[in-house]
Amino acid sequence: MSDLERTMAASASGMAAQASRIRLTTENIANADTPGYRRKTVSFEETFDRTHDTRAVATGPLQLDRSELTRIYDPGNPLAGADGSYLGSNVDLVIEIADAREANRSYEANLKMFDQARQMASSLLGLLRR
Amino acid sequence: MNLSILNLASALAAHASARQQVISENVAHADTPGYRARDIADFSSIVESGPPFTAKMTRPQHVAFGDPMGFDPRETTAFGAETPNGNTVSLEDQMLRGAAVKQEHDLALGVYSKAMDILRTTVAK
Repeated sequence: MSDLERTMAASASGMAAQASRIRLTTENIANADTPGYRRKTVSFEETFDRTHDTRAVATGPLQLDRSELTRIYDPGNPLAGADGSYLGSNVDLVIEIADAREANRSYEANLKMFDQARQMASSLLGLLRR
Repeated sequence: MNLSILNLASALAAHASARQQVISENVAHADTPGYRARDIADFSSIVESGPPFTAKMTRPQHVAFGDPMGFDPRETTAFGAETPNGNTVSLEDQMLRGAAVKQEHDLALGVYSKAMDILRTTVAK
């Protein structure tokens, strides 16, 4: 397999990893007001893609953020305990949006590399067409 | 007839695509903790340094050591690109390298096709 095809495989693995990261971020944002929800995170790992012979990126196991859940004071809520408060989620919207921005930026960088490899391959094939 | 310009142009194109692969791996690992950015040396320095060091393979079971073209990637990155999680990929730096690779590849293909045109003109009638 040529270098340019391996390039595209590496970029595609990067895009898939960033896409799954942005999916988890979206799930976290959607569940920001779900009581007892813990934010989901995923880490990236380096793997060797044997089918494409390239050092691809893969997402590690899904992890739940172990930080404290926020305690929300709302005596009218059916979930509220004796002290009039209940446990909300530990999602911080600012962190989630920053994470989504970073994922977007990395996704675009991967896309640009993929497109460049595609252009290089097509101009290489263009030599045959002359 | 001396056609070393075609060899040189195709080696430059091979260098560009090998480098493109390394750079796109770096970009794919832009957020992987502990990943060290790599790159291949300049084409000019590879050409000047002569044939690279490779292990001789006398049996099919022998594992290849070293790239016969000398395109071995080495760890390198921009100054200050290291992040607290040990990742040394700077996306801006990689974009710059990617643009250089694209130019290198365009140059190689341009030289190759022009040399072929001259060859055709010479051979035709």
